[in-house]
Amino acid sequence: MIRKKILLLGDFSVGKTSLIRRYVDGTFDDKYLTTIGVKISKKLCIIQGVECEVLIWDIEGETPTKKIPLSYYRGASGAIFVIDVNRSETMEGLARHQEVFFEANPNAKHVTAYNKADLLSEIQKAKFTLDANTFLTSAKSDNNVEALFITLIEEMLA
Amino acid sequence: MKNIQIILNAVLSKNIFEYVLVDKNFSVVGTSLGIKMYLGSTPNEGEDIFAYLPELIGSEDDIADIFSNPTFSYLLESVHKSDYYINVSVEHYNEDTVLVLLHNITDLTLSRKKLLQYSNESTLLSNTLQKILDQQNALLFVTHNNEISYSNEQFMEYFSIKQESDIPRRNLQIYKYLDSTLKSYDEMFDRVNSKEEYLCIKDDTFILQASLVESTHKLFTLTKVTKLSKEMQTDSLTGIYNKSYFNTFLEKLIRADDEEGVVVVLDIDDFKKVNDTYGHQAGDDVLKEFANLIQSSVRGDDLLARWGGEEFLLLLKHTNLENALKKVKSLRAQVAAHTFSHIGHMTSSFGVAWKEADDDIHSLLQRADKALYEAKDAGKNRVQFKNI
Repeated sequence: MIRKKILLLGDFSVGKTSLIRRYVDGTFDDKYLTTIGVKISKKLCIIQGVECEVLIWDIEGETPTKKIPLSYYRGASGAIFVIDVNRSETMEGLARHQEVFFEANPNAKHVTAYNKADLLSEIQKAKFTLDANTFLTSAKSDNNVEALFITLIEEMLA
Repeated sequence: MKNIQIILNAVLSKNIFEYVLVDKNFSVVGTSLGIKMYLGSTPNEGEDIFAYLPELIGSEDDIADIFSNPTFSYLLESVHKSDYYINVSVEHYNEDTVLVLLHNITDLTLSRKKLLQYSNESTLLSNTLQKILDQQNALLFVTHNNEISYSNEQFMEYFSIKQESDIPRRNLQIYKYLDSTLKSYDEMFDRVNSKEEYLCIKDDTFILQASLVESTHKLFTLTKVTKLSKEMQTDSLTGIYNKSYFNTFLEKLIRADDEEGVVVVLDIDDFKKVNDTYGHQAGDDVLKEFANLIQSSVRGDDLLARWGGEEFLLLLKHTNLENALKKVKSLRAQVAAHTFSHIGHMTSSFGVAWKEADDDIHSLLQRADKALYEAKDAGKNRVQFKNI
């Protein structure tokens, strides 16, 4: 069976753990509980007849004083970069997360989640420039979470 | 292999380290007795290590290098697994075997997690507060130990400050705008606390408010009221300040114990005759010309206002009585020498009062007004000083 490692990367409290819980367990909890270190969740997928075990790395969110250990990045086939649409400063960290990730995994695939979109009005949502790899997501309202993961997995398997 | 296991079990202390021995095919060749605690079950010999430690997937090449090089090792920190936090390290054992050590760091990590949770929540709260403050229209700044320790975006923009760290270098001394005799933000706080004060910076007028943020920090709010206040503070005919605005400044003078000043009430002599003879438009023109004449002859610090009709008020600060009287006498002479358009020469009378320690606005103005009447009674076109 094919096994693929994907990472969720982004600043603290952007909703990485919530996206994983929604995708893997179908659950959501509003309470913010910080992640420390790394926790791996497994999800078995069948994409176009191909069975794949996806190892989803829920990584501690980066803060100015705590950088992510480079060993976490090793051997990843893909990454989901997560931004909190309500905190512009989390957007500022995107380029930094991408740089470190692609330096360790130059051929890896990626998608981007503008998360917590349930807090936006329709007018605010319309202002986002989206493409095939960029999603307005909400773990709370289960919006685009499946599409986010499946798009990445399909690209990794292509 | 059994001997190795016995030795390792003895060396690795209880409940802190567990291990798995792995061969070049990444198959398990042995484990410590308590490994089940972290992996959920005990791997059998020959089983795939990745089925138990998927955290190592993706690091196969790094681990393969360890077999041939005793100096290489691999470390994965703070892995959350089966309710424990462990460090997973892979080290060379011999050319056919690597040792995967699982180090229990749960207690330490949970303590760190509590701190991190607190720190992240504080940062989120702080960022939210910052956004709320930045969304206010007012200029906000907080002082600590008489230094500005925080300000919002509007404050920075108004004073053309690029970053907060530049504030100390700028030495803004906002308190000087309120009153040039103030020496610190603490003094300004004592003056403003639980009240409102007008404060002028450049051409703008602000309402200044102050409140205590905890015992060590003071929050000052500057709400710009220029547009509104200009209409409210200005006499529409002459363009100089009105009585209400004059009172605000006079009140400040009264309150400032160490500040001296003089109040003058000015009146154009026989003004009624102008209206009666030349009409009200000519009368208005005289008032405007008179105001311009006086305004152009006083200092920027002095304040001229129209009381009403042909009566004006003048506040002379930072001066002594002798110099103030000299100044007022020269104003009288200037008016007398001036040729008003279409009217010709006119005179004016001046009542002068010096601010005394027991004065309030009413007593000070009343004394100046009485002095004016004395000047009128004495024949007009003169300056009269009234002592307490």
